Amino acid sequence: MNLFALLLLTAAVAYGLARWLRLPSLPLLIGGGMALNFCGLLPEGFELGGNGGTNHSGAAMRILEFGLVFLVFASGVELNPRRFRKFGGTVAWVGSVQFTVSAVIGFFSSRMIGFDTLEASYIGFGLAASSTLVVLRQLRVRQALFEPFGRVVTGVLLLQDALLIAVIVVLYRLDGALAGVAMGLGGMVLLGGVAWIAQRHLVPSLVKRMKPDEESLLLWLAAVLFTFVGIAFVLDLPLIVGAFAGGFAFSAFPLNGLVRGQLSSLSDFFQALFFVALGALVGVPDGQQWWVALQFSAIVILVTPPLVAALAEWRGLNTRASIESGLLLSQTSEFSLLLGVSGLASGHLSAQGFEVLAMTTLITMILTPVLCREGTAKALLPLHPFRKRHAPVRPPEDHILVLGFGSAGMWTVKPLRAQGERVLVVDDDAVVCRELTRLGVPVMRGDGSEKAVLDRAGASEAKLVIASMRRVSDALEVLQHVRGVPVIARVFEESDAELIRKAGGIPVMNSDASADTFLEWMSANERIKNLD
Amino acid sequence: MVDALFFQSLGIIVVSAAVLVMVGRLIRMPAIVVYLLAGILIGPVFGWVSMNPALGLISETGIALLLFLVGLELSFAKIRDVGKVAVAAGIGQVVFTAAGGYLLCWVLGFPVMEALFLATALTFSSTVVVVKLLDEKGELDSLYGRIAVGIFLVQDLVVILILTFLAGINGGEDVNAAKVASGLGKAFGGMALLLGMSLLASRYILPKPFRWAARSPDTLLIWALSWCFLLVFAAHAFGLSLEVGAFLAGLSLAQLPYNDDLRRRVHPLMNLFIAVFFVSLGVRMDASGAAANWWPTLVLAVFVLIGNPLIFILIITRMGYSRRTSFLTSVTVAQISEFSFIFAGMGLSRGLIGPEILSITALVGVVTIAISSYMIIYNHPLHAFCERIGLLNWKIFQTPNAAEDAEAGKHDDPLSGHIIVVGMNSLGLQLVRRLHELGETVLAVDTDPVKLEGLPGHTLVGSVEYLSVLQEAGLERAKLLVSALRIEDANDLLAYRCQMAGVPSAIHVVDLSVVDNLMDLGADYLMIPKVDGVKAQVRKLKEMGVIKS
Repeated sequence: MNLFALLLLTAAVAYGLARWLRLPSLPLLIGGGMALNFCGLLPEGFELGGNGGTNHSGAAMRILEFGLVFLVFASGVELNPRRFRKFGGTVAWVGSVQFTVSAVIGFFSSRMIGFDTLEASYIGFGLAASSTLVVLRQLRVRQALFEPFGRVVTGVLLLQDALLIAVIVVLYRLDGALAGVAMGLGGMVLLGGVAWIAQRHLVPSLVKRMKPDEESLLLWLAAVLFTFVGIAFVLDLPLIVGAFAGGFAFSAFPLNGLVRGQLSSLSDFFQALFFVALGALVGVPDGQQWWVALQFSAIVILVTPPLVAALAEWRGLNTRASIESGLLLSQTSEFSLLLGVSGLASGHLSAQGFEVLAMTTLITMILTPVLCREGTAKALLPLHPFRKRHAPVRPPEDHILVLGFGSAGMWTVKPLRAQGERVLVVDDDAVVCRELTRLGVPVMRGDGSEKAVLDRAGASEAKLVIASMRRVSDALEVLQHVRGVPVIARVFEESDAELIRKAGGIPVMNSDASADTFLEWMSANERIKNLD
Repeated sequence: MVDALFFQSLGIIVVSAAVLVMVGRLIRMPAIVVYLLAGILIGPVFGWVSMNPALGLISETGIALLLFLVGLELSFAKIRDVGKVAVAAGIGQVVFTAAGGYLLCWVLGFPVMEALFLATALTFSSTVVVVKLLDEKGELDSLYGRIAVGIFLVQDLVVILILTFLAGINGGEDVNAAKVASGLGKAFGGMALLLGMSLLASRYILPKPFRWAARSPDTLLIWALSWCFLLVFAAHAFGLSLEVGAFLAGLSLAQLPYNDDLRRRVHPLMNLFIAVFFVSLGVRMDASGAAANWWPTLVLAVFVLIGNPLIFILIITRMGYSRRTSFLTSVTVAQISEFSFIFAGMGLSRGLIGPEILSITALVGVVTIAISSYMIIYNHPLHAFCERIGLLNWKIFQTPNAAEDAEAGKHDDPLSGHIIVVGMNSLGLQLVRRLHELGETVLAVDTDPVKLEGLPGHTLVGSVEYLSVLQEAGLERAKLLVSALRIEDANDLLAYRCQMAGVPSAIHVVDLSVVDNLMDLGADYLMIPKVDGVKAQVRKLKEMGVIKS
């Protein structure tokens, strides 16, 4: 219990720091654990590769193992393909190609640094996966989770997790005969099949029939987790594979929604304990390990963003969203650490190799918020090999410039064109540009917040600019570049409207408009009136 | 790294509990009884599981979290209200039950030392069992619930004193007076220090940092748990029970405005860990020696089930509480505690009693915990039945009810016919203000307490992903739920919950791709700010004369 208090106190400090510095909590949790180790505060027997013995450290170790299994289970619950079904092809292409290429580059880099083939395989795959916890937090902060690129990134993360689970199975049996590997994969497919049947039929019908309260539901959830862990044990698969499959059994709606609240408390608790403990077990690496970790971090940061950006743009995302997707995915994953733990347990990965992987995760996770700043993607745009080749056009004059067309742009463009106004649309989405060209609407492909694009579109000579881009920062940039022309910008938050007003623009509040429409509906709705 | 044996034990515990819970639901068996039964089956009966330190640690964590929750539910003010009756009833019951129990054991023919141990073991009631049941019933905050919790805490202190005393006895007649004195001094000093510290912290130290942390739910949870385990650590250092530390930690956070949200977040953790505790309790039961002593076991169990509550009713009615409150409070003490087993175990290890006393204690424990669980779950019908047959009409139970007069009218009526607005972004804020202006009763819900400050109408801090938040918001009685959230998963869940509850819902559409899904989930109205905004933009262009109508 005292060890728990120590780990939780460290986690509390890490969470506080993370909130204060606006960093993801995960690297600070690991760093906090390392600090505990450095200060010599850990009890006897609590060490990497050890089982903690039968004393109190041993008991704490067992709970942390349970925590690890539980965290993997919680990841499995999130594996709901419905979330990104519209982007299934893009997710499959981006995810699988990036994972494979990154793993190959990671493998050869590790070999060149001096790791043996087996260790290099663990490190290579470890470098290929990105952190679901860190990236989802970033997407949530930017409220981009449900934008197309947010959905693609979420899908890629879940695909990477699933691929890494398969890799853990293969590597777990790699020192045996090939038949053993095949048996392992067969076992995994079997487990996946059972999980699929449970997800589609067993678990939902059981819950529907029994209508459990929250306490019983939580207990059933844990029972399903242990049942799958037991099946994995019988099939001689790593237990976390069973936990992931068990989580998948709860991934269908509404079940995943019903258990999310219960799971989030448990996940927060175990996440805090587990990652602090992991940092404490790893300890503080020496200078050589830091150097190697820095090299691996550089590989992740230099390889993932361009690779993902190229693949995403090829699959139809616009340039900026593609670059942002790449930057978001440029860190290693908590699942990389699970892979490392599995390698350590099976004796395939040395403590040194694991420590380097943990350090790489720490560094890349800390760098993620810096890399993912809105300005970074914009700054990288000029480096895009195909964007510079736009031929300069003669700027139009006295026109209405619509920046960003979106799904509702025609509502504005149609009446304007009907009364004979000259309208020019600027949009970064190739599909939108093609469609507008087909309809005979003048369109220019580009990022409406870029000065060069605004100049080419004759923004300063327009009689009105309608800025309908997703980000308020883009509208503010437009207001900075365009002087003396009225600029209308639609925003959701009152604070954003204030920013637009201060910059000289005319805000239109989406939220106010929606509130008006809602109240009209409510006042006319008989069912609600009858409830008065 | 993974210890298969531990996973096997934990897996068997969890799966057996889950299966039996399913069966238990059919015959409305209380969860605690199910857990104990599961433990007895997989432990003493089939021998599938034996206890290990990791299971012990999970159990301890569960107890700490349970008492932390109790503390969060109450507050210093509420505890102060019932302090007098708790101290009087707690100490009075210990004295009378011990005396009565000793007399009974003496009559049953037990030697002096064993009779003393059995009588003492009978005086402890189980805080964990009762608090868990009252929590399930949602009656922890009721008057009788608060009195019961107060009594149990007084009893816990008595338990600590007795265990401290026992720890100073090195077997036989050898009593180490210095050790006992220093242990008692440390316990009393520690209690006073911890109480003072938590009072000071709740008033001067915790509010500001926790207000800052509350804007991030995960930070709030981890900070609160750290505070809990820090006080548990401090309690341990002073030789106090972890229950006392965890309870004081909860109590010091109970004054904060987000204690309800915190309680909901700690609840799932407690539920999982406490289930392991109760099953483990069953696993540890060794009642083999009790068969030979079935007669005294039965007599002692009846004494705990009937005698203990009777003593309590007499004490509590004397203090001016109504028959009903006295009855409901008294029913909660009709069992013995897990401390009784520890106490008997210590006596055995010091050679003061024989193994049959431990077995009798264990069996009395199982029987009384199981039966009293039913008594607590059905305490209201039981009270009505006792009144109907005139059992409580005796003169000794008559009372002026003076102590309860102050309680009258303290509880607000639950909201009904109201509109729940979830998510205080600009849309949510706008809706709350305008609905309030239209004369509607509005309840605003958000995870960030700062966003709810200064809003008209009612507010609730919490995440709608927890069913308990919607229950507290009175979803079943609401006339409409409006979600302004920009989280697809949460919106889907809200639409689903509203459909299940038959309450109309209006949901914010973050992206047009979710429209079909929300329609399938029965959402009555979809707010699409992107589209509404474009329409407003067209109106603006008309106002500006850009578009001629």
